[in-house]
Amino acid sequence: MQTASSAENRIFQALADPSRRAIFESLTRGEAAVKDLKAQFDISQPAISQHLAALKDAGLVNNRREGRLVYYRVEPRGLKPLIDWITHYRAFWTEHIGRLEKLLETMDE
Amino acid sequence: MSLSDKTVPSQTEAIAFRIELRHPPEKVWRALTDPDLLAQWLLPTTGFALEPGGAFTLQAPPQPGWDGTVNCRLVEIEPLRKLRYTWVVGDIETVVTFTLAPTESGTALSVVQSGFKPDQKQNFGGARYGWKMMGGRLIDLLARSA
Repeated sequence: MQTASSAENRIFQALADPSRRAIFESLTRGEAAVKDLKAQFDISQPAISQHLAALKDAGLVNNRREGRLVYYRVEPRGLKPLIDWITHYRAFWTEHIGRLEKLLETMDE
Repeated sequence: MSLSDKTVPSQTEAIAFRIELRHPPEKVWRALTDPDLLAQWLLPTTGFALEPGGAFTLQAPPQPGWDGTVNCRLVEIEPLRKLRYTWVVGDIETVVTFTLAPTESGTALSVVQSGFKPDQKQNFGGARYGWKMMGGRLIDLLARSA
Protein backbone atom coordinates (compact mmCIF):
# COMPACT_ATOMS: atom_id res chain seq x y z
CA MET A 1 0.00 0.00 0.00
CA GLN A 2 1.27 3.41 -0.58
CA THR A 3 0.82 6.98 0.36
CA ALA A 4 -1.99 8.90 -1.26
CA SER A 5 -0.78 10.72 -4.28
CA SER A 6 -2.68 13.09 -6.49
CA ALA A 7 -0.65 11.96 -9.52
CA GLU A 8 -2.24 8.53 -9.28
CA ASN A 9 -5.63 9.97 -8.55
CA ARG A 10 -5.47 12.26 -11.59
CA ILE A 11 -4.66 9.26 -13.76
CA PHE A 12 -7.52 7.26 -12.24
CA GLN A 13 -9.95 10.09 -12.78
CA ALA A 14 -8.76 10.74 -16.31
CA LEU A 15 -9.17 7.09 -17.27
CA ALA A 16 -12.45 6.63 -15.39
CA ASP A 17 -14.37 8.32 -18.19
CA PRO A 18 -15.19 5.88 -21.02
CA SER A 19 -14.83 8.53 -23.76
CA ARG A 20 -11.46 9.66 -22.47
CA ARG A 21 -10.38 6.06 -22.18
CA ALA A 22 -11.37 5.47 -25.80
CA ILE A 23 -9.51 8.59 -26.96
CA PHE A 24 -6.43 7.58 -24.99
CA GLU A 25 -6.61 4.06 -26.36
CA SER A 26 -6.86 5.43 -29.87
CA LEU A 27 -3.77 7.58 -29.29
CA THR A 28 -1.82 4.51 -28.21
CA ARG A 29 -2.09 3.45 -31.86
CA GLY A 30 -0.42 6.64 -33.02
CA GLU A 31 -0.38 10.41 -33.00
CA ALA A 32 -3.57 12.19 -34.06
CA ALA A 33 -4.96 15.68 -34.50
CA VAL A 34 -8.27 16.72 -32.95
CA LYS A 35 -10.01 16.47 -36.32
CA ASP A 36 -8.79 12.87 -36.74
CA LEU A 37 -10.29 12.01 -33.38
CA LYS A 38 -13.52 13.82 -34.22
CA ALA A 39 -13.84 11.70 -37.35
CA GLN A 40 -13.34 8.59 -35.28
CA PHE A 41 -15.66 9.33 -32.35
CA ASP A 42 -19.18 10.64 -32.22
CA ILE A 43 -18.20 13.50 -29.94
CA SER A 44 -18.09 17.25 -30.58
CA GLN A 45 -14.76 18.96 -31.14
CA PRO A 46 -14.96 21.00 -27.91
CA ALA A 47 -15.69 17.82 -25.97
CA ILE A 48 -12.70 16.10 -27.52
CA SER A 49 -10.50 19.08 -26.68
CA GLN A 50 -11.75 18.95 -23.10
CA HIS A 51 -10.96 15.24 -22.83
CA LEU A 52 -7.49 15.85 -24.28
CA ALA A 53 -6.90 18.64 -21.76
CA ALA A 54 -7.83 16.27 -18.90
CA LEU A 55 -5.51 13.58 -20.28
CA LYS A 56 -2.72 16.15 -20.62
CA ASP A 57 -3.33 17.41 -17.08
CA ALA A 58 -2.95 13.83 -15.85
CA GLY A 59 0.34 13.61 -17.73
CA LEU A 60 -0.99 10.91 -20.02
CA VAL A 61 -0.69 12.74 -23.35
CA ASN A 62 1.46 15.41 -24.89
CA ASN A 63 0.95 17.65 -27.89
CA ARG A 64 2.84 19.52 -30.57
CA ARG A 65 1.73 22.23 -32.94
CA GLU A 66 2.30 21.94 -36.68
CA GLY A 67 0.92 24.87 -38.62
CA ARG A 68 -2.72 25.25 -37.68
CA LEU A 69 -3.02 21.76 -36.31
CA VAL A 70 -2.22 20.40 -32.86
CA TYR A 71 -1.19 16.76 -32.76
CA TYR A 72 -1.62 14.63 -29.65
CA ARG A 73 0.38 11.59 -28.68
CA VAL A 74 0.61 9.30 -25.67
CA GLU A 75 3.18 10.18 -23.03
CA PRO A 76 4.26 6.69 -21.93
CA ARG A 77 6.13 7.86 -18.83
CA GLY A 78 2.86 9.38 -17.63
CA LEU A 79 1.64 5.90 -16.78
CA LYS A 80 4.44 5.10 -14.40
CA PRO A 81 2.59 6.11 -11.17
CA LEU A 82 -0.30 3.89 -12.23
CA ILE A 83 1.96 0.96 -13.12
CA ASP A 84 3.75 1.34 -9.77
CA TRP A 85 0.42 1.39 -7.98
CA ILE A 86 -0.72 -1.77 -9.78
CA THR A 87 2.60 -3.51 -9.09
CA HIS A 88 2.26 -2.66 -5.43
CA TYR A 89 -1.26 -4.07 -5.11
CA ARG A 90 -0.46 -7.21 -7.08
CA ALA A 91 2.25 -7.95 -4.53
CA PHE A 92 -0.10 -7.04 -1.66
CA TRP A 93 -2.83 -9.43 -2.79
CA THR A 94 -0.39 -12.21 -3.66
CA GLU A 95 0.95 -12.09 -0.12
CA HIS A 96 -2.41 -11.81 1.62
CA ILE A 97 -4.14 -14.46 -0.49
CA GLY A 98 -1.28 -16.74 0.50
CA ARG A 99 -2.11 -16.02 4.13
CA LEU A 100 -5.80 -16.75 3.45
CA GLU A 101 -4.89 -20.17 2.04
CA LYS A 102 -2.85 -20.98 5.15
CA LEU A 103 -5.63 -19.76 7.44
CA LEU A 104 -8.24 -21.94 5.72
CA GLU A 105 -6.10 -25.00 6.53
CA THR A 106 -6.31 -24.22 10.23
CA MET A 107 -10.02 -23.31 10.40
CA ASP A 108 -12.75 -25.70 11.55
CA GLU A 109 -14.98 -26.93 8.75
CA MET B 1 -4.13 -25.28 -4.24
CA SER B 2 -2.77 -22.92 -6.76
CA LEU B 3 -2.57 -19.18 -6.88
CA SER B 4 -2.55 -17.76 -10.33
CA ASP B 5 -1.97 -14.13 -11.12
CA LYS B 6 -4.39 -13.40 -13.89
CA THR B 7 -2.99 -10.00 -14.58
CA VAL B 8 -1.35 -11.06 -17.80
CA PRO B 9 -1.55 -8.74 -20.80
CA SER B 10 -4.60 -10.46 -22.23
CA GLN B 11 -6.61 -9.64 -19.11
CA THR B 12 -8.53 -6.42 -18.91
CA GLU B 13 -8.62 -5.98 -15.14
CA ALA B 14 -5.49 -4.46 -13.71
CA ILE B 15 -5.45 -6.55 -10.55
CA ALA B 16 -7.23 -9.88 -10.72
CA PHE B 17 -6.56 -13.22 -9.10
CA ARG B 18 -8.36 -16.53 -9.37
CA ILE B 19 -7.62 -19.15 -6.76
CA GLU B 20 -8.83 -22.76 -6.57
CA LEU B 21 -9.42 -23.61 -2.92
CA ARG B 22 -10.05 -27.07 -1.46
CA HIS B 23 -12.53 -25.66 1.01
CA PRO B 24 -16.31 -25.20 0.73
CA PRO B 25 -17.72 -21.73 -0.02
CA GLU B 26 -19.23 -21.56 3.49
CA LYS B 27 -15.79 -21.71 5.03
CA VAL B 28 -14.22 -19.28 2.57
CA TRP B 29 -17.10 -16.87 3.12
CA ARG B 30 -16.45 -17.02 6.86
CA ALA B 31 -12.80 -16.09 6.32
CA LEU B 32 -13.90 -13.12 4.21
CA THR B 33 -16.54 -11.82 6.63
CA ASP B 34 -15.45 -12.64 10.20
CA PRO B 35 -13.47 -9.74 11.70
CA ASP B 36 -11.25 -12.06 13.76
CA LEU B 37 -10.42 -14.14 10.69
CA LEU B 38 -9.95 -11.03 8.50
CA ALA B 39 -7.35 -9.79 10.98
CA GLN B 40 -5.48 -13.07 10.52
CA TRP B 41 -5.10 -12.99 6.74
CA LEU B 42 -5.92 -9.49 5.51
CA LEU B 43 -5.70 -6.65 8.01
CA PRO B 44 -7.21 -5.79 11.40
CA THR B 45 -10.68 -4.26 11.00
CA THR B 46 -12.66 -1.69 12.95
CA GLY B 47 -16.43 -1.45 12.68
CA PHE B 48 -16.90 -4.36 10.28
CA ALA B 49 -20.56 -5.43 10.14
CA LEU B 50 -21.99 -7.47 7.29
CA GLU B 51 -24.67 -5.06 6.12
CA PRO B 52 -25.02 -3.10 2.87
CA GLY B 53 -23.50 0.37 3.13
CA GLY B 54 -21.64 -0.60 6.30
CA ALA B 55 -18.46 1.43 6.75
CA PHE B 56 -15.34 -0.04 8.30
CA THR B 57 -11.61 0.51 8.30
CA LEU B 58 -8.65 -1.75 7.74
CA GLN B 59 -5.45 -0.94 9.54
CA ALA B 60 -2.17 -1.44 7.70
CA PRO B 61 1.21 -0.63 9.21
CA PRO B 62 1.68 3.16 9.17
CA GLN B 63 4.15 4.60 6.68
CA PRO B 64 5.65 8.07 6.33
CA GLY B 65 2.85 10.30 5.06
CA TRP B 66 0.13 7.71 5.61
CA ASP B 67 -1.33 6.47 8.89
CA GLY B 68 -2.09 3.07 7.36
CA THR B 69 -5.87 3.43 7.40
CA VAL B 70 -7.89 1.97 4.53
CA ASN B 71 -11.46 3.30 4.52
CA CYS B 72 -14.00 0.80 3.26
CA ARG B 73 -17.73 0.63 2.62
CA LEU B 74 -19.66 -2.53 1.76
CA VAL B 75 -21.45 -2.05 -1.54
CA GLU B 76 -22.53 -5.58 -2.41
CA ILE B 77 -23.22 -8.62 -0.24
CA GLU B 78 -24.44 -11.83 -1.80
CA PRO B 79 -23.94 -14.47 0.89
CA LEU B 80 -21.58 -17.28 -0.16
CA ARG B 81 -21.23 -15.74 -3.63
CA LYS B 82 -20.05 -12.16 -3.72
CA LEU B 83 -18.60 -9.48 -1.46
CA ARG B 84 -17.64 -6.07 -2.73
CA TYR B 85 -16.35 -3.05 -0.87
CA THR B 86 -14.70 0.23 -1.64
CA TRP B 87 -11.05 0.58 -0.72
CA VAL B 88 -10.04 4.18 -0.14
CA VAL B 89 -6.50 5.26 0.68
CA GLY B 90 -6.07 9.02 0.74
CA ASP B 91 -7.55 10.35 -2.49
CA ILE B 92 -7.26 7.06 -4.35
CA GLU B 93 -10.58 5.26 -4.47
CA THR B 94 -10.86 1.70 -5.68
CA VAL B 95 -13.22 -1.22 -5.21
CA VAL B 96 -12.36 -4.78 -4.21
CA THR B 97 -14.60 -7.64 -5.30
CA PHE B 98 -14.47 -11.21 -4.00
CA THR B 99 -16.47 -13.76 -5.99
CA LEU B 100 -16.98 -17.34 -4.85
CA ALA B 101 -18.15 -20.22 -7.02
CA PRO B 102 -18.56 -23.79 -5.77
CA THR B 103 -16.45 -26.38 -7.57
CA GLU B 104 -16.22 -30.19 -7.28
CA SER B 105 -13.23 -29.87 -5.00
CA GLY B 106 -14.13 -26.71 -3.11
CA THR B 107 -14.34 -23.08 -4.16
CA ALA B 108 -13.10 -20.97 -7.02
CA LEU B 109 -12.33 -17.58 -5.50
CA SER B 110 -11.70 -14.51 -7.58
CA VAL B 111 -10.27 -11.28 -6.18
CA VAL B 112 -10.39 -8.15 -8.29
CA GLN B 113 -9.31 -4.63 -7.38
CA SER B 114 -10.25 -1.91 -9.79
CA GLY B 115 -10.70 1.81 -9.92
CA PHE B 116 -14.03 3.51 -10.26
CA LYS B 117 -15.34 6.88 -11.11
CA PRO B 118 -15.33 9.05 -7.97
CA ASP B 119 -18.55 10.86 -8.86
CA GLN B 120 -20.43 7.54 -8.96
CA LYS B 121 -20.07 7.28 -5.21
CA GLN B 122 -23.76 7.98 -4.74
CA ASN B 123 -24.79 5.33 -7.21
CA PHE B 124 -23.13 2.13 -6.11
CA GLY B 125 -26.02 -0.14 -6.94
CA GLY B 126 -26.27 0.51 -10.62
CA ALA B 127 -22.91 2.03 -11.32
CA ARG B 128 -20.46 0.21 -13.45
CA TYR B 129 -17.10 0.64 -11.91
CA GLY B 130 -15.81 0.07 -15.38
CA TRP B 131 -12.37 1.40 -14.96
CA LYS B 132 -10.25 -1.17 -16.67
CA MET B 133 -6.78 -1.34 -17.88
CA MET B 134 -6.64 -1.59 -21.61
CA GLY B 135 -5.00 -4.96 -21.48
CA GLY B 136 -1.27 -4.95 -21.38
CA ARG B 137 -1.03 -2.15 -23.89
CA LEU B 138 -0.24 0.46 -21.27
CA ILE B 139 2.52 -1.63 -19.81
CA ASP B 140 3.86 -2.34 -23.31
CA LEU B 141 3.93 1.37 -23.95
CA LEU B 142 5.85 2.06 -20.81
CA ALA B 143 8.35 -0.65 -21.71
CA ARG B 144 8.77 0.78 -25.20
CA SER B 145 9.40 4.27 -23.87
CA ALA B 146 12.31 3.16 -21.72
